[in-house]
Amino acid sequence: MKLVLPPRVTDKTFQKALDAFAGVVGKQWVLNTDEDRETFSDIYAAGDADQHVPAAAVGPQSVEEVQAIVRIANEYKVPLWPISRGKNLGYGAAAPRMSGTVVLDLGRMNRILDVNERFGYCLIEPGVGFFDLFNHLQEKKIRLWMSVPANAWGSVAGNALERGYGYTPYGDNTRNICGLEVVLPNGDLVRTGTGAMANSATWQLFKWGYGPSWDQLFCQSNFGIVTKMGMWLMPEPEATLGLNIQLPNPDDVGWAVDELAPLRLNGVIQQSPSIGNSLRFVASATQRSQWYNGDGAMPDDVLAEVLKKAGFGWWTINLRLYGYDEVNETHARIIKDAFAKHTKQEFQIVKWHRGEPIENSGAGIPSTQALQMINWRGGRGGHLGFSPVLPATSEHVLKQFHSTKKRYEEIGVDYYGSFTLMERTATNVNLMVYDRDDAALTAKVRALFKVLVADAAKEGYSEYRTHLSYMDDVALSFDFNHHALLRLNEAVKDALDPNGILAPGKQGIWPRALRTERA
Amino acid sequence: MNTKTYVPLPGCLTRLALFVAAACLATTCVAARGRDDSAQKLEDGKKLFHARCGYCHLAGGTGTIMLGRRLGKDRSLLEERTDLSAEYVKKITRVGINSMPPHNRIELPDSELDLIAAYLTRPASARAPDAAGPKGGTP
Repeated sequence: MKLVLPPRVTDKTFQKALDAFAGVVGKQWVLNTDEDRETFSDIYAAGDADQHVPAAAVGPQSVEEVQAIVRIANEYKVPLWPISRGKNLGYGAAAPRMSGTVVLDLGRMNRILDVNERFGYCLIEPGVGFFDLFNHLQEKKIRLWMSVPANAWGSVAGNALERGYGYTPYGDNTRNICGLEVVLPNGDLVRTGTGAMANSATWQLFKWGYGPSWDQLFCQSNFGIVTKMGMWLMPEPEATLGLNIQLPNPDDVGWAVDELAPLRLNGVIQQSPSIGNSLRFVASATQRSQWYNGDGAMPDDVLAEVLKKAGFGWWTINLRLYGYDEVNETHARIIKDAFAKHTKQEFQIVKWHRGEPIENSGAGIPSTQALQMINWRGGRGGHLGFSPVLPATSEHVLKQFHSTKKRYEEIGVDYYGSFTLMERTATNVNLMVYDRDDAALTAKVRALFKVLVADAAKEGYSEYRTHLSYMDDVALSFDFNHHALLRLNEAVKDALDPNGILAPGKQGIWPRALRTERA
Repeated sequence: MNTKTYVPLPGCLTRLALFVAAACLATTCVAARGRDDSAQKLEDGKKLFHARCGYCHLAGGTGTIMLGRRLGKDRSLLEERTDLSAEYVKKITRVGINSMPPHNRIELPDSELDLIAAYLTRPASARAPDAAGPKGGTP
C-alpha cells in the first residue's frame, strides 16, 4: 500500500514527524513500509480500502509516550488515528477514516492494572484483549464474568468505546465503563468521574463524579485518547439456565419480539437475547457451495431445504437466565408459557451450577468462531455490518426485516441478520458477506449500504455503529434543526483539538481545518 | 599406601593446560547453552504461538476449521504440520491468506514472529513422538 500523505503535510514534514515519533518510542515501533500499511488497512474492506489508507503506525507503551506523540502531531499537524487492537472487523478494522492519518496503535499498552472481586470491576489498558482478561480471571480463580462479543479477538476497552455488546446481564459494554484516563488532543491528561480526585477511593465505583460526566464523550468520538478504563464485571452467579429454541417461519420473529420485549423490560430476562436467522449457524459450519451454486441470493425454497437438512428453524433464539436456581426456574416457566401461545416448538434447556465447567454456563467465553461465516462464499472473505436500532415491537422488526431482506435479494446477497433485544430497543445487525476479490459484488454491497442507511433514516432509525465509509452518511441522518448535533460535536472538536490532529472524520466529526474532507 | 607423585608442570604448560581446560569448558558450556537456548527458544515460540495464534489455530479454532476444509483434517493443526517453512509462515502472517487477516509488526514484532516460525518448523527431534509423523504436501 503506497504512502498517502495527510492533507496540509509535505513529504519533508512528514518524515520529520516520523523521526520525532521514533525519538519517543524507538525506531522499531514506527512502521511505514508498504507492507506495514497493508497490515493496518481495512482488512475485510468491500473494495474501498484505498479510501482509508494509513500513512504509518506508531506504537507507544506508556501514557507519557502517548502524550509526547500527541504534542509532536500538533507541531507537525500530522493526524493520528488511535486504535486499541485494531480488530473493529466489519467496521473498518485498524484503518483510519481519512487517508494519510497515522495509526496510533495502543496494543503494547496491555496491562491489567487491577481486578477487584469484592466490588466487581477491573482497571485495564486499551491493549488488553478479551482473551487476556478471560485468562487472567480464570488463572487467578476470580469469580467475575465478562461480557464478550460474538467475535472476541479485539480489545475490551476498544469494544466498550465503540459501544459493542455481549450477551450476559452486563452485556451493554459501554454502560459498564466507570472511570477513564484520557490524553486530550493538546497532550494534557485527565481522569473522569471521581478519578479527577488525585486520591480518589471510588474511581471504579461511582460513575458520575461531580459536575458534567465525561465518560460517554470519549465513546465513538475523537475528543481524546483513552489510556485506562475502569469497567464493571459481573459477579459469578449461583446458576445459569439456557433456553434455546428454533422458530420455523420467517414471520415468527414478530411475535417472538412482542413476547420477549416486556420480559426484557420488566427484568424476567436480564441479558440481551439474540434472535438470529439460522443461516448464520449454517454459514459458520459449512460453505455456500456445499448447498447451492446458483447466482443471486439463495432462493427461499432452497434456504428452507438447507435449514431442514441442517436441523434448524428459520430463526434461532438463545436466552440465558442468571442467578438463583429457584428464580431461574420460575422465569423459565414464564418464558415457556409466553411461547406456548404461539408455537409447539420446545425449548432446549442447558443448566449450569457454580463449580461445573464454565463452558456449559452463560458466561462470556471469548471465541473467534463467529469469523467462520466470512468463509461462506469462499475466496478472500470479508464482511460489512449494517446495524440500525429499532423500537422493540413486531411492527418495526417485521417491516425492517422484510425491507432489508428484499434489498439483499436485489443485489444477490444472502440475508444474514439478527435482532438483539435491549430493554426497549432491538439492535438489528445485518452482515453482508462477500468475496473481496469479487469486484462486481463488493460494488453492489457498497451501493446497498447507502440505500440501507437512507431506508432506515426514513423510518427514524439510526445505526448504533458504522463502517468508516458511511460515518458521514449516518452522521448526516441526525438532521434535527439542520444538523444541530453535528454543529455541537464540531464546536467541541474545535475547542479541544484546534489543530485537528485526532481522528479526523470519526463518526462524521471533522475538525475545522479538514471539513472539506467530509464525504 | 597408594601414593602419587605430584609433578608440577612447567609454567608455560600450566598456562596451556588451563587454557585448554578453559577452552574445553567454554566449548562444553556453549554447546550446552546452545541446546538450552534452542530449547528455550522453541518453548518461547510455543508460548507465543498459543498466545497470539491460538485464538484461531488450536484445536476447534476458526483457522483450524478453515484449514481443515481447504487442506484436509490431517493438515489443519499448524502445530502438527511438518511441511511448513519459516519463510512461508512469516509471509502469510504478514500478508494474510483467504479469510485470515494480516498481522502487523506492533501486535507481533519480527522477533516474536521469528520464534513462532521456528517453533512451527522445529525439527522432528524436537517434536513429541505422536506429533513427529509426516504431514507433508504443498503448504
